[in-house]
Amino acid sequence: MSLRWKLWGIVLSLAAALYLLVPTFFHLPEQRQTFVEQEKPVPWYFDLFPSKGLNLGLDLRGGVYIEMEVLVEEGIKAKLDNLAQDIQRDLEKQGTPMLQWSLGENFDRIEFKFAPETDIASAFQTISRATPGLLTKEGPATDGKIAFRVVEGDIAQWKLDILNQAVQSVRNRIDAYGLTEPTVQKQGNRRLIVELPGVKDTERALEIIKKGGKLEFKIVNEALSPTALGDIIAKTREENNLPIRYSFDDLKRLNELMAPSLPEGTEATFELGRDEMGKVIRAQPFLLDKTVYVTGDMLDDAQLQREGRTNKPYVALTFNKTGGKNFGDVTTKHVKDRLAILLDGFVMSDPVIQEPIRNGRATITLTITQSLEQTLAEAKDLTFVLQEGALPARLQEVTKTVIGPSLGADSIQKSLWSLIWATLAVVVFMLIYYRLSGVLANLALLANGLFIFAILAMFQATLTLPGMAGIVLTIGMAVDANVLIFERIREELRSGQTLQNALNAGYGNAVRAIMDSNLTTIIAGIILYQFGTGPIKGFAVTLMIGLVCNLFTAVIMTRVVFEYFIFGKRIERLSI
Amino acid sequence: MKFIDKTPRIPFMKHRFLFLVVSLLLMGGSLFSVATRGLNFGTDFLGGVKLQYRFPTGAAEGEVHALLEKMGMPGVSVIRFGDASENRLAIKISHPKEAIESYGKTITPELQKAFGAETLLEMEETVGAKVGEELKRKGILAVLFSLFCMLVYVGFRFDFHFAPGAMAALFHDVIVVLGVFSFFGIEFDLTILAACLTIVGYSLNDTIIIFDRVREHAKLVTPATVEEVVNTSVNETLSRTMITSLTTLAVVVILFCFGGATLRDFSLAMILGIVFGTYSTIFISCTAYIGMVQISPKLEKRFGKQS
Repeated sequence: MSLRWKLWGIVLSLAAALYLLVPTFFHLPEQRQTFVEQEKPVPWYFDLFPSKGLNLGLDLRGGVYIEMEVLVEEGIKAKLDNLAQDIQRDLEKQGTPMLQWSLGENFDRIEFKFAPETDIASAFQTISRATPGLLTKEGPATDGKIAFRVVEGDIAQWKLDILNQAVQSVRNRIDAYGLTEPTVQKQGNRRLIVELPGVKDTERALEIIKKGGKLEFKIVNEALSPTALGDIIAKTREENNLPIRYSFDDLKRLNELMAPSLPEGTEATFELGRDEMGKVIRAQPFLLDKTVYVTGDMLDDAQLQREGRTNKPYVALTFNKTGGKNFGDVTTKHVKDRLAILLDGFVMSDPVIQEPIRNGRATITLTITQSLEQTLAEAKDLTFVLQEGALPARLQEVTKTVIGPSLGADSIQKSLWSLIWATLAVVVFMLIYYRLSGVLANLALLANGLFIFAILAMFQATLTLPGMAGIVLTIGMAVDANVLIFERIREELRSGQTLQNALNAGYGNAVRAIMDSNLTTIIAGIILYQFGTGPIKGFAVTLMIGLVCNLFTAVIMTRVVFEYFIFGKRIERLSI
Repeated sequence: MKFIDKTPRIPFMKHRFLFLVVSLLLMGGSLFSVATRGLNFGTDFLGGVKLQYRFPTGAAEGEVHALLEKMGMPGVSVIRFGDASENRLAIKISHPKEAIESYGKTITPELQKAFGAETLLEMEETVGAKVGEELKRKGILAVLFSLFCMLVYVGFRFDFHFAPGAMAALFHDVIVVLGVFSFFGIEFDLTILAACLTIVGYSLNDTIIIFDRVREHAKLVTPATVEEVVNTSVNETLSRTMITSLTTLAVVVILFCFGGATLRDFSLAMILGIVFGTYSTIFISCTAYIGMVQISPKLEKRFGKQS
């Protein structure tokens, strides 16, 4: 390739790098955002440049990084329970009611138990019709029990579906919450990672993400009075040394231990009242029938509305056809009973069913224990979660890093200054030690920095705080490459070689060593990338990009400039 | 300007056994420290909660510790973070009893009540214990795997006499850094692990430059002449070694001074790595190579040449 082409190649690549960095230098994305928010038209020249600038990591911008485990098994259990409930309803209508069902340990089989006189054969027919291909009969019916095996491939598929659904749900929620550039990713087959850069109200954002959103309608069982139930609960807690806590897991455990003391087919739960800090100050026990009549996925719509006179917020629900029918059925059968409306296992309200409701609508009123503002915010979040749909399974926090924006800004400032001082020190040294060739090396260094940032911006790779450290390190190693070449050239010149030969020998010998050494650090970078998460990955990426740019600027770029002066301008001596 | 006008003739290799002993002592000391004192693992590896606060006025570690004890959390550590003027303290709870999500929410208001409403929670990190274990495992695997890759690479590009020296130098560097961190009780978290891996790359970088020069003189290498050849190679590359080490060192020292508290431990690890990396290249890798070249004919004689 002729010298001219090479020179043009370098000029063009520099221009390209500058072009890619325009959005970062002029803060174009932020300005665009402001225009959009204020509903002003975006100036035409904005579209000439790339739309995104440098992608700053959480430790530089502030924000949340959270890794959550999707409790897939719970999701499968829920799916199977729903299936069994549908079957139960069908069987009841048919006149062959099922008493109860139980699930196998790995959720791979279901056993249905019937009263001795029921017509098992027709029950079996109904079940098979309801779930073609999903359940296969396991063995003959024995004492009124039929066992079914769930097709294995289906379970694996369900697990995958649940994970994908969870990812999608979380994405939807975050999108509607209106955050800039959030990311939600799968990790492995059970986890998801959420990154929310620049989020201001961390707690609320996390609440929205984690909120199960499982809406259920059950009937209150009046068999035990609240005081009697309260006593049983207190006794169970005391006997088993359970702390007074009200998480979903605690409730589950409590029910498991109380099961023998409660009437068959019932379970206990609470209606919780919280203070402004979110701490539970009141817990009223409820005894409910286990049967779920209506669930959140039978909703067509949920709207936040205000009551006319008091302006209290409430959520207006509209059911779909199945939901409407089920709701109509339960309200018809249980007139004068209390309907328990549950969210994520806890009672939200328990209105008395005055009359059958066949229009497929219901309302949830919220008790105001906190300020009106807070209740309103809660109502908004609830409506939103109901609209988006419940999470297919619970999310459990595994790792969380929250970085406040002040720390982020602080980190950027400090690391930028280090970068500037380090570059300055190197520049001065190169000038003194290598004179004009030092100038060339410095230009290569600056071009290196430009290329690194441009490539980061182009691939939208995240620049993290360790990444900045990586760049500072790359500066040191860039010097190494130049030094190797220049020292070699000096040696050759010292031993009497001509300018051209010295250049060729210098580059020829040095490049071999440079390649070897840079490649080894790149290998370290690749391994770091594979094994690392979050900021470490950022470090690895920045390091590798830095080293590759190093190779380009130190080896190719400087050589072209030397050749230009030696062959083009035909200089006599090399200032090195 | 030149530091070194003519190729110097410093007799590095003559004293190589002395320095080998020094290195062995250093490594031994480091291993001992790691085995007995152990490493001060951060929340990344142990799991737990780390809360970093910025206080509006001076807050002493003791006060915060007492407050936390009153709240029923005695086993926590409170460490100053950054300069004294920054008023930053980090609270570390390594074996949390309850759900780790709630610690920030319960502690922050109490601190605000005691030290002023502007007490700011700058950073909150919660890591489940299982994840910590996983990271530890992955971290160790990463280091071992990279050492292995380097070995393969060196064996590939150079002949096998070079490989043990390169490996030994890398082990030495990483172990000494771990030793220093263990001895001074400096927190060892993921960023430090990343530093270690970078040091591995950098140290090998350095070693390869010198080995490359020796390789150039390969025809001259015999068990009798190897010490001389290696010494000459080291001297020939001395100006390059000094310049690179000094500039990279200067750069990391700048990072140490100006990079802020978050990068301080990382820069420290890098400084140690660069210093020992350069040292190990000359006094461990080269020593080992000389040893290999001198022993290898004796081994051949003992075990006979495989036909």
